[in-house]
Amino acid sequence: MKSGVMKSGARTGSRMRAVRIVLAAAGVVLIAVGAVVMQQTVAPNRIVGVAIWFALAIVVHDAIIAPLVFVVGTLMRRAGRRIPPAVLAIIQGGIVVASIFTIIVVPEIVAKSLGARNATVLPFDYGLRLAIMWGVVAVLTALAVGVYAFLASRQNQRSRKAQG
Amino acid sequence: MRRLLLNMQRALATPSRNPRMATVLGRLLATAFIICFGTGLYSHFLQQPLPWMHFSTWPPNGYQLTQGIHITAGIACFPLLLAKLYTIYPQLFQAPPVRNILHFIERASITIFVAASIVEIVTGLINTYQWYPWPFPFKQVHFALSFVIIGSLAVHIAFKLPIITRYWRKKNSYDESGALVLDEEDQPPENASGRVGGLTGTVMRWIDTAPPREPAVSRRGFIVTIGTAAVAVVALTAGQSFRFLDSLNVFAPRRSGIGPDDLPINRTAKAAQVLESAISPDWRLTLRRGDVSKDLDYRQLKALQQREVQLPIACVEGWSQLATWRGVRLRDLMAEVGLQPGDTLKLTSLEVRGGYRMTTMGPEYVQDPTTLVALELNGAVLDIEHGYPARMIAPGRPGVLQTKWLRTIEVVS
Repeated sequence: MKSGVMKSGARTGSRMRAVRIVLAAAGVVLIAVGAVVMQQTVAPNRIVGVAIWFALAIVVHDAIIAPLVFVVGTLMRRAGRRIPPAVLAIIQGGIVVASIFTIIVVPEIVAKSLGARNATVLPFDYGLRLAIMWGVVAVLTALAVGVYAFLASRQNQRSRKAQG
Repeated sequence: MRRLLLNMQRALATPSRNPRMATVLGRLLATAFIICFGTGLYSHFLQQPLPWMHFSTWPPNGYQLTQGIHITAGIACFPLLLAKLYTIYPQLFQAPPVRNILHFIERASITIFVAASIVEIVTGLINTYQWYPWPFPFKQVHFALSFVIIGSLAVHIAFKLPIITRYWRKKNSYDESGALVLDEEDQPPENASGRVGGLTGTVMRWIDTAPPREPAVSRRGFIVTIGTAAVAVVALTAGQSFRFLDSLNVFAPRRSGIGPDDLPINRTAKAAQVLESAISPDWRLTLRRGDVSKDLDYRQLKALQQREVQLPIACVEGWSQLATWRGVRLRDLMAEVGLQPGDTLKLTSLEVRGGYRMTTMGPEYVQDPTTLVALELNGAVLDIEHGYPARMIAPGRPGVLQTKWLRTIEVVS
């Protein structure tokens, strides 16, 4: 066996085949139910609106978010040539966590700026809280890098002693 | 074109983009989707029951739980879906783009699956912020898309089942050194041969000369990052639904304890246009069964035996809060017009208009001893924002069905 390659195994059993057919059939039925429900409860011009949002969703993810993630990741690897990969991974992790919070909280900031329907809806200052969240993530990321550097240097010393 | 696609796939390849990771994330995401689907159906049918449906009034916080889980699992889908899409992104650049009719169906169904999933969780989240920037009705589309999503999930699993079973277990996925063990048919594309000139070549060289990743570090970092993000978004928002996380509630659109009588509200008295009618001395609660009817004013209601219950207000938007209510037991009240055990009630509010001005209540709720026509909340006279002079409170029902500013209660014939 070539290293890193495994001969394909049971990819085509009769049981596998049966399960796949049942799943596919059930899936098609459910999609059809969804389509019928949509057609019966939503006006045609509104369904066009749904289609536009579908297209927007694909474009925003596939043409904006995913390429941005790729470019930022590649830029960081180039800029951080001398930085240990684990440190780079920790920093990238911090950026990803902060970004996910940003995606969830920014619409909340917009909604609040447009005016909440009453004082019990969106009661917080979400912009301030998001900014504090970024700060907290930055501090925790720095701490994690520090802990990693400390552990790595201790391990280095130990292995040097063992050799010496 | 083919070379461009292959180059894209090669450029995008990273250790964390592999079938094992896609399987692990797929399992988590599918679980979250199925939880959302189940709790969503429950919420839907509570509000629009089919004629034969009966619901349990126990546990009294049942809806608080199911809808809290619905919204929280939906929020957890954000990191999970983004991570899942990350692991499979290079598949977008398959060469050739379409191999045969089956392959076309697979790719088309994936497109619908991804688009519907993104639209569903994004509109669901923003709906809880009470902001509606889309050109379609939320409730109907959210409901219809849930079937499309679960259906295309089943189709997706049908297509990917061999890969899912192959990479289900860790020991079949990685060797002793931690390197991914791929089947022959899953091998990444060979380098597109030949030197590429022009802009593409420049870009590819720029990407290729970036330092390589260490597979184990890259994979572990990815899993830890997504795990942290998922735990953090849940922990910092779920306090709106689950009391034990209340002190961590940083980003939820609701906070328990904020509002008149320390309880949040949705529809205001002003929006419902009841500012005058609700405080009018002419207000009467009308009870009716067939030809028998009875009008009670506020003082007469107050003179009847008062009961105290602890029941949550649980909104379809996910927030909920337990409160203490005092008022007249509904079935005792309706006995005055000859209520029968199997009777279904129609509740009408003073509201001038609104989707929930008139609602029905099945016999399981009517007969429950904790269902009250409430006159007091948390030890004070019901605030007008909470439905003064009288509102319904029943166990295990969505907030929209806990009719405020009651006007009539009648038996459906």
